[in-house]
Amino acid sequence: MRLVRHIAAASAFAMIAGAAGAESNVRFWYHFDNADNPIDDLVAKFEATNPDISIEAENIPWNSYYDQLYTSIVGGNAPDTAMVKLFAQPRLIELGALAPIDDMLAEWDDANNLQEGLLDLVKGGDGNQYYMPVQYVALYLYYRPDMFAELGLQVPTTCDEFHDVAKSLTRDTDGDGQIDVYGFGFRGAKGGHDHWATFTLGAEGVSLTEGLTSDAGVAGTQFVADLFQKDGVFPPSAPNDGFQEIIGAFKSGRTAMTIHHIGSANGMVEALGDNVSAAPVPACGGGQWTAFGDESTAVLSGAEDKEAAFKWIAFLSSEGNNTLFNQATGQLPVVKADAANWTLHPKRFVDATINSLEAAQLLPASPATSDFVNTVWPTNMQRVLIGEITAEEMNANIELLFTE
Amino acid sequence: MRHRFSDKTELHALGRRVLPYAMLSPAVLVTLAIVFFPMLQTTWMSLHEYILFRPNDFHWVGLGNFKAALNDEVFWISFGHTLIWMGITIPAQLLLGLTTALLLNQNFPWRPIARALIIIPWALPSVIIALMWVWIYDSNYGVANEFLLRLGIVQKAVPWLANPDTALASIILTLTWQGFPFFAVMILAGLQSIPHSHYEAASIDGASQLRQFWHITLPGISGVVVTAVLLRLIWVANSFDVIFVMTGGGPGYSTYTLPLYAFIKARTNLDFGYGSAIAVLFTLLLMVFVIFYLRRMRRMI
Repeated sequence: MRLVRHIAAASAFAMIAGAAGAESNVRFWYHFDNADNPIDDLVAKFEATNPDISIEAENIPWNSYYDQLYTSIVGGNAPDTAMVKLFAQPRLIELGALAPIDDMLAEWDDANNLQEGLLDLVKGGDGNQYYMPVQYVALYLYYRPDMFAELGLQVPTTCDEFHDVAKSLTRDTDGDGQIDVYGFGFRGAKGGHDHWATFTLGAEGVSLTEGLTSDAGVAGTQFVADLFQKDGVFPPSAPNDGFQEIIGAFKSGRTAMTIHHIGSANGMVEALGDNVSAAPVPACGGGQWTAFGDESTAVLSGAEDKEAAFKWIAFLSSEGNNTLFNQATGQLPVVKADAANWTLHPKRFVDATINSLEAAQLLPASPATSDFVNTVWPTNMQRVLIGEITAEEMNANIELLFTE
Repeated sequence: MRHRFSDKTELHALGRRVLPYAMLSPAVLVTLAIVFFPMLQTTWMSLHEYILFRPNDFHWVGLGNFKAALNDEVFWISFGHTLIWMGITIPAQLLLGLTTALLLNQNFPWRPIARALIIIPWALPSVIIALMWVWIYDSNYGVANEFLLRLGIVQKAVPWLANPDTALASIILTLTWQGFPFFAVMILAGLQSIPHSHYEAASIDGASQLRQFWHITLPGISGVVVTAVLLRLIWVANSFDVIFVMTGGGPGYSTYTLPLYAFIKARTNLDFGYGSAIAVLFTLLLMVFVIFYLRRMRRMI
């Protein structure tokens, strides 16, 4: 009889535990290039401490990440939480897709462990907090110290120096009459606006929302066009080159400089060893401009259990877990303690990132920014590079987008 | 007794009349749900200003989107590319497919293996084909350039997909390669249905190989060819996956076709109203073309 009672009690307990186990399900969308995909470890760790919440993490390919996110929101099938970038925030707010996390954030003990100012930086335009920072980078210039030494060149600090250095680096190294090394790997396809912005938006009074059609603004775009058409310092495939192409070309020694962030540093070191280093981007038109690469997580307004969703994103931005997360993405942690103990990248790349922060800028918080990034910039830049339109026309098209 | 008999036949006749509809209805219902309903929805959306991230701002603009499209430079660029795209890809696939089918219809050792191998490009998913050809065309590591450089045909590596003069042609070549097995297999089936006695009779009458081809082979496969061309016409016209993966429409608008433009407008810019208008316009154009084609062909066969 006692045995029966025990069994009954045990099964009742199991049922309760089972029911509790299924209490909340949080769907999370993210994008990792890393094939090892260590998110499973993070999920297991989270579920062990939060047995009443189960996490359903889905890796969405980066190229169509936002297309899928927006359509899933409108289609009513959005995830509960997602990795998000700042440029998308105005559009997501306009869609009413984000849930404010101010109250939950106020009660979260670990908020003070985040690096200073980051929470403010990602605050929504309407004053609410929607985003929880999870990683960051700043773009800098990758260069080949061995090639620079061979030719007696210094790392360029201005666009004029950059122009001369890039020209010297573009050469035929084996004497077959073919160019083997190009000075700079320019990203002409989607995502390359950061390269163009370095050469264009550094000038005084020039930004995406003003001064783009001034002489100084047009000069920046013209500088890029001339580097390709007149000086031939970009590989001929530059108009179509995306992330894979510029990184691949740099690793194989096809290009001597390019612009990207610390996320690709370990791969570069694997391929080139000590023959790769980094420095802040050159100052162009009198000022320095580089992109601040942000990544946050957010709770979506359609989430059923917002507390559980917040617990998950807070977990990713807390001590130790944030290191695990950035191990996967190769970017830099937002938690002070994790940043202090950071050993996952060679120091020279961390230094270059920190030295670039001063010049790091965000794209304007405007719903037009998405179109700028996804279609307007790539198409116009490509048309300039292949000589279909002029630099003035390109800048006018971008200005029109932001003033419409 | 007689009465009951006639009842039975009537019931039987009724059953025979109803049965086809009953059998067809599941397919028709599914088609209505997944083809006609979205088509109607697309037409409805094309008459509205509908930007996905402003879901509350859905308002009637009548033919406004269509007017805007007809005044849109990119629409006409894409239209021109669509014509070139269809005008070259389909005849090229047909010719290559016909030649392959004639070769495969000969007797030679390992013929079954050759027939199996030929189907590979058709069996591969478009995305794989696109990625494969991107690397073939790559200006730094691509085999196409390596090959041409070694043969001395080009003096320096050509950025096939980044050069506006060669980008569309390069993609057309890829699609020709992908699609010709379809023609080859269809035409081969047609060839095998031509009775051998026709050729025997013709050769007894002293007809040359060319005459036999013209008067026996071609009429024998014309029905298959017309159907195959029609199917390919619709598929090639609508397919943009290979272009999307290979160039995304670039450089600039060099490889934009109308379905790709509609897709980018709707899915990337989230402008569903305008994207739908382009899609509807393209459907109408394709419909006119198909009707014209079918009428002409009916007269020819």
